[in-house]
Amino acid sequence: MRYLLTVICFFGLVTASQGAWTDISEKDFLKTPWAERPRVEQSACIDCHASELIKADYQKIPGEWRQSWHYQNRVACQDCHGGDPKDAAKSMTPESGFIGVPKPKQVPEFCGKCHIGIKDNYLESGHGKALMTTGRGPNCVLCHGSHNIQKASIDIISPKLCGVCHKYDRAKDMKASLLLTEQKISDIGKSLETLKAGLISTQDEDKVLFQTQAEFRTLFHTVDVKLVQEKTGEFSKRLNAINDKVLKGFGELKFRQDFAVFIMLIFIGLGITIFLLGRKSK
Amino acid sequence: MIQRIRGWLEIRIGLDELIRSQLTEYRVPKNINLFYTLGIVAFVAFLVQSLTGVLLLFYYIPDDKDAFQSVQLIMNHVPYGWLFRLMHVVGSNLMVAVVFLHMISVFFLGSYKKPRELTWVVGALMLLTTMGFCLSGYLLPWSQLSFWATTVVTNIPTAFPFFGEVVCKILRGSEQVSGATLNRFFALHVALLPALLIALFALHVFLVRRIGISAPPFGREEDEDWKEFRHEDHPDGLPFYPHFVSKEAFMVVLYFIIMFAIIALAPALFLPPDTRIPADPFTTPEHIRPEWYFLAPYEMLKLIPNRFMGIAAQLILVTVFILWPFIDSSEKANILKKPRLLATFLVTLVIWIGLTIWGAY
Repeated sequence: MRYLLTVICFFGLVTASQGAWTDISEKDFLKTPWAERPRVEQSACIDCHASELIKADYQKIPGEWRQSWHYQNRVACQDCHGGDPKDAAKSMTPESGFIGVPKPKQVPEFCGKCHIGIKDNYLESGHGKALMTTGRGPNCVLCHGSHNIQKASIDIISPKLCGVCHKYDRAKDMKASLLLTEQKISDIGKSLETLKAGLISTQDEDKVLFQTQAEFRTLFHTVDVKLVQEKTGEFSKRLNAINDKVLKGFGELKFRQDFAVFIMLIFIGLGITIFLLGRKSK
Repeated sequence: MIQRIRGWLEIRIGLDELIRSQLTEYRVPKNINLFYTLGIVAFVAFLVQSLTGVLLLFYYIPDDKDAFQSVQLIMNHVPYGWLFRLMHVVGSNLMVAVVFLHMISVFFLGSYKKPRELTWVVGALMLLTTMGFCLSGYLLPWSQLSFWATTVVTNIPTAFPFFGEVVCKILRGSEQVSGATLNRFFALHVALLPALLIALFALHVFLVRRIGISAPPFGREEDEDWKEFRHEDHPDGLPFYPHFVSKEAFMVVLYFIIMFAIIALAPALFLPPDTRIPADPFTTPEHIRPEWYFLAPYEMLKLIPNRFMGIAAQLILVTVFILWPFIDSSEKANILKKPRLLATFLVTLVIWIGLTIWGAY
């Protein structure tokens, strides 16, 4: 016993002394992301925009961005504005590709770096043509905002937003055409989440739904009601095909649950039998 | 036919005498309780893991490019693959819970006291081996959670100077968690650890049968000092069969009821969303949190300001746990007559549960 305590004490002392020269702050290893592309929390852009030296309006930008869909998807300042976020001196030089506030005509290209399909459809639309010819048509940020960009939804089409430039009538027709399909996409999305929670794999359906949704929303940017109405049937067909698979998934989920309950009931019966036999044998 | 087989065996192995000496005339203490059955429940849990594990091996591909997809195949396309995988996943958690409960009850009942110190040490090593199973099995589905949890765990040895980096590299087989790590963990999970656990189990059963089943210490006089080896008999006890066997069978059935209740009502209880996303070395999940049985050590690591100290403290605690019968070497087995030990036991249990709950939120 004494020897054992000596060994433990010795080990404890060695531990303590070694610990002293091991990096004290290494505890962070539990929360440090190891990914090569972690979420940006610190950069030259954020540091500067957080300082008092800058205009009050510009100070709000990092806060707005942190509330955005872009932030949630790890899209950082330099992904849109260019520049070098690691070097304050070079962060805003033209050589580093920095664009601070793009001119209205530059906005489609600015956002279209990632949203390629949408950019193409937008440029073919009345909105896009008006912007490119007069420089005064509605651009991406007018509807979607700039820094606090939220996940796109059909609610963007509203009298408040559309009414800034024109009457709401045509936009209303467009929204009505989109509504059913959008609702269907949303319902299928929720069903897929339920299936996933029940451990039914929906990888293939997720991909098809994402693609369908992306194509459908791209199409909307043509702001061509007739075209949207024509194509709705095609999208409906694709969504129905996914829905059929979703229904099959729910059938499988129900079967799994029933089967597990069935086996559980067999064991409950077995347990009761053993309990009664045990009492009898006493 | 049965009589003929019985007769054949009787001539060769003395079946009747074996049944008499090991089952019907083998006596267990009168006041033996359900906690004494947890050992056999743990053994059945291991059998379930082995059986379902072998079935999963038919389709699982231990390769970083195919592992995740092969698990998806098992869950969605292999007939009843979902059932065997869920039995394996839920079973692993239940097995840890059963082994925990077994150790706690052995501690509370003072069954680690002389002459059963070795039985405790082997049991403690079996618990650690079970944890090793969980750890190595966690990586195999090659999901986001498995990948990042393994990254954290294999990073732990680097807290130690001189050999930490080497141990980390040996575990990973490369600088980062990769296909090489998966191969190593797979080998551990399906070859090395099962062999180790079976060997420890054989030794454990040998010790239990050789020394004899201990009686609950409550309401009886303390045993006389053990000066020489003897098998602990209970001549006034009840027969092992059917009395104790029916208790064991009941607890085994209860184990299966709990398992299938979880599979039916909460199949994703041990499979959070990050287990359904393939491993992506470039995207760290928001919250990396270990399984419930590692939450207390995990929380302790976060609380102790220095990583090395935190890990070393845990190693000391594990050493104390394994060698406990030699630390508490008094021969009194009744914990109720030892208020300081009882208080230590209860405080440790409460701290453990508290840290686990804290770690979960």
